[in-house]
Amino acid sequence: MSEPESIVTIRHLSKIYAQGDIQVTALDDISLVIAAGEFLTLMGPSGSGKSTLLHIIAGIDRPTSGECLVQGIDVTKLNESQLADWRNQNVGFVFQTFNLIPVLTAFENVELPLLLTRLGHAQRRKLVNTALDIVGLADRSHHLPKQLSGGQEQRVAIARALVTDPKLVVADEPTGNLDSHSAQEVLGILQSLSRQVGKTVIMVTHDPKAAAFGSRSIHLEKGELTN
Amino acid sequence: MNLPGFILRNAFRNKRRLALSVSSVAVSLFLLITLQVALRELTNPINDEGSSLRIIVRNKVSLAQPLPVRQLQVLEKIPGVVAVTPFSFFGGLYKGDEKFTSFAQFAVDPARTLPLLADAKIPKAQLDAWIADRTACIVGQMTADRYGLKLGDRMQFTGQIYPCDLDLKVVGIYHGTADDRNLMFHQAYLDELLGNLGTVGTWWVRASSVAEAPLVTERINQAFANSSAEVRAESERAFVLGFVSMWANIKTLIGGISIVVVFALLLVTVSTMSMAIRERFRELAILKALGFRRRELFAFILAESFGLAMCGALLGAGGAWVMYHYLLNIQKLTNGLFIMFEVTPKMMGLAFSVAALLGVLAAIAPMVTVARTSVVQGLKTLD
Ligand SMILES: Nc1ncnc2c1ncn2[C@@H]1O[C@H](COP(=O)(O)OP(=O)(O)O)[C@@H](O)[C@H]1O
Ligand SMILES: [Mg+2]
Repeated sequence: MSEPESIVTIRHLSKIYAQGDIQVTALDDISLVIAAGEFLTLMGPSGSGKSTLLHIIAGIDRPTSGECLVQGIDVTKLNESQLADWRNQNVGFVFQTFNLIPVLTAFENVELPLLLTRLGHAQRRKLVNTALDIVGLADRSHHLPKQLSGGQEQRVAIARALVTDPKLVVADEPTGNLDSHSAQEVLGILQSLSRQVGKTVIMVTHDPKAAAFGSRSIHLEKGELTN
Repeated sequence: MNLPGFILRNAFRNKRRLALSVSSVAVSLFLLITLQVALRELTNPINDEGSSLRIIVRNKVSLAQPLPVRQLQVLEKIPGVVAVTPFSFFGGLYKGDEKFTSFAQFAVDPARTLPLLADAKIPKAQLDAWIADRTACIVGQMTADRYGLKLGDRMQFTGQIYPCDLDLKVVGIYHGTADDRNLMFHQAYLDELLGNLGTVGTWWVRASSVAEAPLVTERINQAFANSSAEVRAESERAFVLGFVSMWANIKTLIGGISIVVVFALLLVTVSTMSMAIRERFRELAILKALGFRRRELFAFILAESFGLAMCGALLGAGGAWVMYHYLLNIQKLTNGLFIMFEVTPKMMGLAFSVAALLGVLAAIAPMVTVARTSVVQGLKTLD
C-alpha cells in the first residue's frame, strides 16, 4: 500500500461540441491520472471545461474521443443502463445548487440512492444515519430541505453522495452558493473524506481558498491542462 | 421510504393542483357516465332484437283513437300473422304513486298474448292462473321488485285515460323481456268496466319471421285502407322509435358531447402531467445521475399519471354509480322521464378504460422529454 494506486486514468480525452459550423472544443486531448484517496481540485476560468471533464469522469457525459478508465473500467464504453448502475455504485455527486428533492426529508433524500439497491429497510436506515452522522446532521434527519440552511442542505447532499459508499466523490463548485463559514464546513468534510475515509474526491472550483483544501490541484485553460 | 412512497410523495407535492386535476377527471367521467346512462335509457327499447318480430297496429288518425274489435277477424287471416291480441294502453295511476306511474299497464287477451311474450320467462302455472281469472294480471320483475309485489297481492289503478279504475290481482311475475316493467291484464275486464264499447287501443301482432315482418306490416295497412278505421301498422321497434324519434337526434348529440368531454379531459390531463414533470426536470436529472435508469423514471411518470387518472375515475365513476344507485331518485327528479337510470358495468368499464388511456397518453410526452434529456442537459437547467 506504499505506492498509491491510480483510480482514474484518462487518455487523450477530447470533447467537441458542434454547433452548426462552429466547433467548440471543451476538452482538448486531456491525459490525466488520479490516485486513489486523492482530493483533486480542478481549477480554471469559466468555460475552460472543468465541468465537462468532471461529468465525463462521473459517467454522466461522453467524450468525443479518448478513454476514461475508472478502476480499470472504461466508462465511455458502457451503455446507458450499465452506466446508471455504475454511477449508483461508484460515484457520489455534489452539485453547486444542492439539488435535494424538496418533498423529501433529509433522511429520505440521503436514502434515495439506496432505493436502487437490494438493501433492506433496517440496513438502509443504518447507512443513512451513518452518512448523516459524518456530515454532522443526524439531528436534522426529519427536516425538509426548506427547513435547512444552505450549508446544511449541501451537507445533506454530501451525505447522499456518501451513502452508497462510492470510491469516487465528485463535486462541481460545491461552495459556490455558500457563505464562507458554511463553505469551510463543507470543504472540511470533503477533505476528511479523502484523508480519513480514503475516498477519492474530485472538486471543481475557481476559488483558490477552496482549492487549498485539496491535496493536488490541476488547471484547465480552454480545454487544456496547463501544468 | 420505498419507491411507491416516493411516487406518492411526488404526486402530493402540489396538493392543490393534484386536487384540481383529480377533480377535473372525476367530474368529466361523472358527466360521461351520466350521458351514457341517459343515452341507454333513451335508446334501450330500440336495441331489442325480438321487437322487430312484433307489430303494433294503431289508428291511422292518432294513437288516441281506438280501433274496432271487428278488425280482429281480418287481422288473423292476413298471411304471415301468427298471433294477434288487443293491446290497450291503460295508463293508470298506481295506488300510492303521486303523479306518475313508472310502468305501463296494457289490456290484452291473455290466451292470444302468449306468442307475443315468447321472450318472457314465467311459470306455466302462473300463465294458466292469469288466463283463468278475469281480474288477474302479470307484472314484470322490475316493477314487482320496485313495489315489493308478491303473487296474490292486489293492485289498484286510477284511470287517467279511461274513465274507470282497476282492481287487479297479481298472479304472475315475468322477466326476460326487453322491458320487464309492464303490467298486463285482461282486455275483457276493461271492456266490462267500460260497458263493452267494442273497441281496443291498438293491436299487437306477431309476424312469422323477421323477414316476413315488413311484408305483414304492409299487408295490414292495405287490408284496412279505405275502411272506416284505417290503421298504421309498424314494427314495435319503429313504434317505440316513433315515440322517441327526437331521442335519435339526442343520441347523436350525446355521443358528440361524450367525445368532447373525453377530449377536453385528455387536454387537461396531458397539460397537468407535462407541467408536473417540467417543474421537476432538474430533479429527474439528479435521479438519473444517482443511478435511476430511464425505465424507472418512466415508471414514476406513468405511475403518477395513471394514478391520477384512476383516482379521478374512482371518484367520478364510483360517485356516479353510488349517486344513481343509492342517493338520487332519478324517476322522481325527472318526473318519470328516466326510470331506471342504471349505471351498467359496461359504463363503469368505459369510464375506467378512458381513465386508463388518459393516464397512459398523458405520460407519453413527459416520458419522451425525459428520455431525450441527458443528465448534463437536465443539470444545465439549474446552473
Ligand atoms: N451543450 C453544449 N453545447 C455547446 N457548447 C457547450 C455545451 N456545454 C458546454 N459547452 C462549452 O464547453 C466549454 C466548457 O464548458 P464547461 O465544462 O461547462 O466549463 P466550466 O465548467 O469550466 O465553466 C464552454 O466553452 C461551453 O460553452
Ligand atoms: Mg462548470
